[in-house]
Amino acid sequence: MHKIYPGPVEVLHGIDLTVERDEQVAIVGPSGSGKSTLLNLIGILDRPTSGTLVLDGHDTAALSDGRLAGLRAATIGFVFQQFFLLDYRTALDNVADGLLYTATPLRERRRRAAEVLDRVGLGDRLRHRPGQLSGGERQRVAIARALVGRPALVLADEPTGSLDTANGTAILKLLSELHDEGTTLVVITHDPTVAGAMDREIHIRDGRIHPEPT
Amino acid sequence: MSRSSLTPADLVRVSLLGIGARKLRATLSVLGIAIGIAAIVCVLGISESSAAGLERQLDRLGTNLLSVQPGQNLTGDQTTLPLPAEQTLTNAPYVQQVSGIATVSGTVLRNKHVGSNFTGGISIKAARPNLPAILRGQIAQGTFLNAATSNYPVTVLGAVAAQRLGITTLRPGTAVWLGGKAFTVAGVLAPIQLSPDIDRSALIGFAEAKQAFHIDGSASTVYLRTDPQHVAAAADSLAAAASPAHPDQVSVSQPSAALSAQLAAKKTFNSLFLGLGTVAVLVGAIGIANVMVISVLERRSEIGLRRALGATRRHIAGQFIGESLALALLGGLAGSAIGSLVTAGYAEYKHWHTVIPATGLGLGIGATLAIGALAGLYPATRAARLSPTQALAR
Repeated sequence: MHKIYPGPVEVLHGIDLTVERDEQVAIVGPSGSGKSTLLNLIGILDRPTSGTLVLDGHDTAALSDGRLAGLRAATIGFVFQQFFLLDYRTALDNVADGLLYTATPLRERRRRAAEVLDRVGLGDRLRHRPGQLSGGERQRVAIARALVGRPALVLADEPTGSLDTANGTAILKLLSELHDEGTTLVVITHDPTVAGAMDREIHIRDGRIHPEPT
Repeated sequence: MSRSSLTPADLVRVSLLGIGARKLRATLSVLGIAIGIAAIVCVLGISESSAAGLERQLDRLGTNLLSVQPGQNLTGDQTTLPLPAEQTLTNAPYVQQVSGIATVSGTVLRNKHVGSNFTGGISIKAARPNLPAILRGQIAQGTFLNAATSNYPVTVLGAVAAQRLGITTLRPGTAVWLGGKAFTVAGVLAPIQLSPDIDRSALIGFAEAKQAFHIDGSASTVYLRTDPQHVAAAADSLAAAASPAHPDQVSVSQPSAALSAQLAAKKTFNSLFLGLGTVAVLVGAIGIANVMVISVLERRSEIGLRRALGATRRHIAGQFIGESLALALLGGLAGSAIGSLVTAGYAEYKHWHTVIPATGLGLGIGATLAIGALAGLYPATRAARLSPTQALAR
C-alpha cells in the first residue's frame, strides 16, 4: 500500500503486510515513520492512495462509506492514546456508545456496557464522568468501549503512552487477556514491554517495513 | 455484512445530548428565535384578541341598524323630515322595526335654582318606548319610557347626562328641570355604543313633548332595524320612503360602519410588526448557524470518534442537523409560550377574550423547523465532510 497526502508527502512507500486472525502484532518505529497512518488505513478510517486493503475477506476499496462504517462498527474496536471520551457522558454511556451505530437497543447497550466495565475493573465507576476518573481508569473505559461490540480486530494507538508504569501494566494485561479470547490485536507502541508481549513486532521507518531485528 | 445504522430515537437522543452538554450556549443561541417568534405571536394574538372583542360587540349590536336624518337642500339650509316619515318608513321594504326621535329645544337643569348656563351640554329629545330595543341599549337604573309615562312629565336620562347632572343613584321622586318644568326621572340608560348622542340627552315621551314644548312631531332621526340579509337594498329605498318629494334631502347612514372600519384597520395594522418579528427570527437563525459552525470546529475529535465507532457521514450530518433543528424548535416553543402569555395578560388587562392565533402558532413552529434545517445544513455538511483521520488528528 502507498499513502500520499496532499503536498505531496508520501508517508507510506509500499507497505505489504498480512496480519493473521488471532495474531497480536506490535507496530514500532520513531515518530513520523507512518505508524499512525498505517493504523488508520488498517482501521479503514482512511483509504490508501494506491494498493488494496483486504479486511475480513472484503476488498475495502470497493466499499461505500456506509459499508465501511458498518465494518468499523461491527468488526473493529479502536483504542486511542488520548482516549477520546465524551466529557458530558458517564463512563457507562461512553462505553454504551460503542454500540450506538449497530442498531442495538439502548437497554441492551447499557447492559453490555456495564458488563464490560465490570470486566475491566470499573464496575463501581459506571456513573462517573471522565473528568472524575484517573488516566488509567479513563483508558480502561476507552478499552471497554472498544470491546463492547466484541470486535474481531482491536487497534490500539499508544494505549499506554500517557499512563504511568503501573497503569500501563494493567492495560497490557487487559489486552493480552483479550488476545487469549481470540481477538486480533494491532498495537502501536513505543514501550518495549508492550512490544515484547506481542507475537510479532513490525518495525517501520520512513514509511517502509524494516526486517525484524532478532 | 452488517450495515452501520442509527435508529431515529438514537438520532434524537444524540442531538439533544449535544445541546444538553452546552446549556448556556444553547440558551443564548435560542434567544433570538424565541424573541422573534414571541413578537410575531404577540402581534397576531393581541390584534386578533382585540378584533374578536370588536366582532363580538358588532355581533351584539348588529350591523342592520340604519338611521335616517334630514339633509340639506340645494341652498345648504337644514331641512326636516316630512311629518309622516316614520310611518312611511315602517312600510319600506325589509324594514322590521322603526323608532324616531325628535329634538326638543329647552334647557336641562338639575333644579330650578341652578343658573340657566349650567346645562352641561345636555339636550332634550322626544323618544318612542321601543328606542332601547332598537339601539340594543341597556337600562342602568329604573325603567324606560312606556306608553303611559310618555304622556306625563317623566324623563329618562342618558348615561353622560345623568353623570353631568350628578344623579348617580336613582331615588323615587328624583326630578330634573327641563325647559323650566320639573320632570320625574324614571330611569337612566347605560352608554349606547351605536348612538352616543343619546347618552347626552334627557328623553321624554312624544306626547309630553307636543304638549309641553309644542313640537310638531316630525322626527329628527329615525332608527330602523332591517332584514340582516338585505341591509344594502333597504338602505337604497329609505330616502324615497322617508321623503317621496325630496329624496335627495335625506341622508341614510349605518351607525355600525364606524366599528366595522375600526375592525378592518386592526386587521391591516400588523404588517410592520410582523416584519420586525421576521427580522428577529432571521437574526436568530444566523445565531444558530453561527453556534453550530463553532460547535463543529470544537467537536472535531467527537466527530472522528463517532466515525471510528461506525457512524457514516450521513449519521454525522443527521446529528448536527438534529441539534440545529432542536435549537430552533426550542426557540420556537419558548417564543410561542412567551407570546401566548403576553397576549393572555394583555387581553386580561383590556378585558378581551384571549385569542391565541392557532394558525400563527402552527406557521411559527413550521417556520422555525425550516429555519433550523437551513441553519444546520452548512455546519452539518462540514462535519460530515471531515475525514475521520483529520478529525482525530490533534
